[in-house]
Amino acid sequence: MSSDESDEENVIRYGTPLDPFEEDEVPSKRKFQQQPDQYAVDEHGRRRFHGAFTGGFSAGYGNTVGTPEGWAPSSFKSSRSEKAQISNQRPEDFMDEEDRSEYGIAPRNLQTKSEFSGQKRTHQGFHDGPIPGEPVLGQLLRAVHETAAVKMLRKMGWKEGQGVGGRLTRSDKKRAKDQHKVYGCYMPPEMRQENKEESEESTDSEFEYETLFAPDDYEPYILQRKNDRFGLGYKGLSRHSVLGNLVGEYGDAGNSRSHLVMKEKGKKVSIRGQAFGVGAFEADDDDVYATHDMSHYDFEIGGATEKTEKKKAQDKSSNVLEGFVKASKPLPSIPNYPPPALPRDFVPAPAGVRRSRFDVTEAPQRDQGLGRHELTAEARGALLGETPLPETKEHIPETQTQETNLSKILGKSIDFVTQNTLKDKEKDTDFISIKDTGKDINVFKPFVSDPKKQARYEQYLKDKESGKESDRITGDTEREGDRLSEWERNREMIEFEQAAKLYRPLSGIMGDRFTHASEPDEGALNPLTAVAKSSINYGLATPEQIEAAKIGAYGTITRKETKWRPEALVCKRFNVPEIGERSEPKKDVKSKISYSIFSYMESSVHDKESFTKEQSKFSGSKSLNVDKQNKIDKPVEVKTQVTKPVSTEMNTGPNKRMTVAELFMKESEKDLQTKNKETEVVQTIEKFDRMDLYKSIFLSDSENEEINEETPSTDYKDFIDKPKNVERNTSPPRGIFANIDFDELNSWKRHSENKTSNTNDKSDQKTTDELSKINDNSKEKLDTTDRVQKLGADDSILPEAVYGPKIPENLQKRLEEMPENNFKPVFRRKDERDLDESSSSDSWVEAKVKTKKEKKKKSKKHKSKKKSKHKKKDR
Amino acid sequence: MVEQLSNIVTIKCKQQVVRAVRFNVDGSYCLTCGADKKIKLWNPHNQLLLKTYGGHANEVLDAAGSCDSSHIISCSSDKSVILWDVTTGQPVRRYRGHASSVTCVKFNEESTMAVSGSVDNTVSFWDVVSRRQEPVQILKDAKDTITSIQVTDHEVLTSSVDCHMRLYDMRVGKMFSDYIGHIITYASMTHDGQCYVLSCADNTIKLFDKDSGELLNTFSGHECKDFLLENSVNEKDSHIISGSATGEIFYWDLVSSSCTQKLVHGKRPVVSLSHHPTDNYLLTASEDEVVLWGVPKMEE
Repeated sequence: MSSDESDEENVIRYGTPLDPFEEDEVPSKRKFQQQPDQYAVDEHGRRRFHGAFTGGFSAGYGNTVGTPEGWAPSSFKSSRSEKAQISNQRPEDFMDEEDRSEYGIAPRNLQTKSEFSGQKRTHQGFHDGPIPGEPVLGQLLRAVHETAAVKMLRKMGWKEGQGVGGRLTRSDKKRAKDQHKVYGCYMPPEMRQENKEESEESTDSEFEYETLFAPDDYEPYILQRKNDRFGLGYKGLSRHSVLGNLVGEYGDAGNSRSHLVMKEKGKKVSIRGQAFGVGAFEADDDDVYATHDMSHYDFEIGGATEKTEKKKAQDKSSNVLEGFVKASKPLPSIPNYPPPALPRDFVPAPAGVRRSRFDVTEAPQRDQGLGRHELTAEARGALLGETPLPETKEHIPETQTQETNLSKILGKSIDFVTQNTLKDKEKDTDFISIKDTGKDINVFKPFVSDPKKQARYEQYLKDKESGKESDRITGDTEREGDRLSEWERNREMIEFEQAAKLYRPLSGIMGDRFTHASEPDEGALNPLTAVAKSSINYGLATPEQIEAAKIGAYGTITRKETKWRPEALVCKRFNVPEIGERSEPKKDVKSKISYSIFSYMESSVHDKESFTKEQSKFSGSKSLNVDKQNKIDKPVEVKTQVTKPVSTEMNTGPNKRMTVAELFMKESEKDLQTKNKETEVVQTIEKFDRMDLYKSIFLSDSENEEINEETPSTDYKDFIDKPKNVERNTSPPRGIFANIDFDELNSWKRHSENKTSNTNDKSDQKTTDELSKINDNSKEKLDTTDRVQKLGADDSILPEAVYGPKIPENLQKRLEEMPENNFKPVFRRKDERDLDESSSSDSWVEAKVKTKKEKKKKSKKHKSKKKSKHKKKDR
Repeated sequence: MVEQLSNIVTIKCKQQVVRAVRFNVDGSYCLTCGADKKIKLWNPHNQLLLKTYGGHANEVLDAAGSCDSSHIISCSSDKSVILWDVTTGQPVRRYRGHASSVTCVKFNEESTMAVSGSVDNTVSFWDVVSRRQEPVQILKDAKDTITSIQVTDHEVLTSSVDCHMRLYDMRVGKMFSDYIGHIITYASMTHDGQCYVLSCADNTIKLFDKDSGELLNTFSGHECKDFLLENSVNEKDSHIISGSATGEIFYWDLVSSSCTQKLVHGKRPVVSLSHHPTDNYLLTASEDEVVLWGVPKMEE
């Protein structure tokens, strides 16, 4: 449990874990959907859509069906008295809150639009006409957008109807008018004069002086296509009758689409259509709409009938289908704009084809910047006008030779730099072809820099293959021109060996691991592929077996027995007892040694087992050997007695103890609760003054020696009587005593023990031992006790030096408030309290026993508390 | 003397090729493993197709029903072993431990464990009851493809292309490997568990004594060619049955090794066969056709 917990402690988890996915579960085809995700829900958690495949809109009456009011037929309610109220209903009354929210139908709050639109947004309101939606007319007629120029002009103060420019006086304006260019026919000057004078006379009197006027508006002269053959500027009579239909030559009265038809020329206008016109018996008003238009004129001499006949003949002559009329004028030519010429390097990219970003782009990637990276160093230099550097090619051989020299000197020649700088010419010679497995395989040449050495290396390789190693060296040296010393040669040999290992062809080093696929691995895909018979492959059959099988002598020869061990689980499933001893691999509880100060105090040693563990763990470190001492001192029978309750306790409850800090916390809490501070403080301190007790027992002052000699014995007797107490007694120093150098004490103790004969008989004898000890090492003892006391004193004086958790301030204060620095007075005081007037020495023993009992009670209390706490934890 | 068997029922499986046909525990149903990646559950006695189990990614090579007929274990050349729920037809577990196509699979007696053999030369034990996904144990003794597996209460018999027959005895904790000298295409055991019958690629079927590994009898007459022919022992342990590449089914007397019966299935090789565990019925599969052989009941 503990190990698991600690393992989990190290893991930091974020988020909520997913449901564990079982590996063997066949994933369902439908994706996992969480129930709440499947329904649209408003902010109050009500379902938004209902019915009709849950696409139905709930219209704010969500989930009323099923509720009492949803089913109950509403009783008739007269609205007579509430007519006024009803009229006040607004669409908002039927809306949900969501509709008025940001994303609803009628958002209430102002918000910026995602994109800026210069035009004023048309108000989108509800149209309460018979046709729902946006008004059709509004859609048909769209306001002409003002151009940006007009808008700008407006901003600058321009108004429609006036020209641009500075304000002018009237005379200036007049002058400007005179200079005005006129297209078309010039007005005769007399006429102009007249007009002017008229206007001037009327106005001059009023605006004579400095009144400034805006200049006249410039009237754009818009050229209009001339679609008639009249003279310039002449407008003939409109061919459209007033009634709206073409007449005369161009229009056919009978086919006219107008409601008003003139039956007899200039006489009758009959009105077709309903709800409008002259009644049947009413006399016609003559010429109600008489105006001058073309229809009033005869264009030819003669009757109208003649004309029609002629027209028909004309029609026939021209190649026109019956019922059609040849167009009198050609259709206005539609201006033809040729498409823009494509740029020369334009490549059409069809919109449908999507280009993956991994496609190869033809355009070379430009470096960021200004394109200067595209230039080479030389080009840049040329641009800057630098003198070009001399060619660097000569350098390479130089370095090579240098290297070779160096390598000769050093006897070391594997050089990767030169190999890298080799030119292409040499590359093909970079490999030696070795005839291995019948194929030429290129082998890396490690000694290219030194051709002689390379030659030697190749020779070495050859020799190695052929297996003649002894004569290699001699022949080699003889052949080679350069003499190598013995040492150099040996070095080279080692080098070659290494190189040969390093640069073994792949076929050599990996060849034994891989084989060529003799056949494509189709077996997995197609089990029908032919497989070569492998009867040649006899498995692990020995030749004897093969022989025996050939002659059919099956039996002992062909049979082979080997040990085979079924897994435990296999045995279990087959209902077969497991063979052999059960060597279950027990989970090793990792012996974790945490070096936190808490571990020293927390894993307080209340039972023997944990104590011994502690001992082994921190042997020689800061644990106190009190228990050991006790063990030695105690008679054997006691031990057995002791162990029993311990074991039971171990079984019943987890032996996790409170930390000192926790204890302190508890104590301080208690302090607050019960205001009887004095006694509490005494108690708490009492808890941690076992060291003092220890000191008083074993390292007592020289004056008290005689008396103290007895005390331990009584103490032990006490233990014997109540073996459970041993538990409590063996607790290691904690809290304020944690920093007392117990090692020192222990070492001293051990030392003394070694000296004295190791007897574990009876307490009496122990006392004698103690005596002898004391006698022997009285000096030492004195020193140590002094030191200990000093330390204790230091402790109280210098709280900074205290290790372990900080003592709560209130406690600390109280500690400091103690009359004396050392802890003895506590006992005194207790004595005084318990037994009002008695000698200090006597009361000591007595008080001790009493305090013991108290402690016991206390400890029990703690235990119960702890247990409860554990329960909480387990949950 | 065995009654003369005759063709009772012929089932066209419509599975392209039936790789294996297997009776269930009590012989009332049968499974056919098809090259169409499906397993079909039939009632062969009335030609009823009960269910089709689809989920394998490649040809199903072998299948076996559990002892309570609630599950099916099947193996395929998609390298997986699938445990099926019979009634729902859904795969319950899919074991992907083999490195190559799985050729044979068997349940143990209590159907708590499945044993599968593969082209990757291994035999794997799969714990069917627990959720464990890895094989419980892998036997790596074989040096070539495992062609067949037989499981008894405490033994596992495997035959391999490496000419070895291996018997794993759990009680003794030993593996007995017998070198046969020929590729073993199929191994079966007699019902008394004392002998094993090996179909060898040398056109023989060999009967071996389990304890000593001695050859007891050899049966020949059929033709093996390159097919992984299966064999079987009839319900009384009196005859050895095997298909043939020539499309016949041979019955040999176990003791005298004389051919007592020859059933003609067709022209195509009879690769798979399965004998009824208790009655005198035999299922043979050849290509797309499964034939149930038996003694026709006399009709009054």
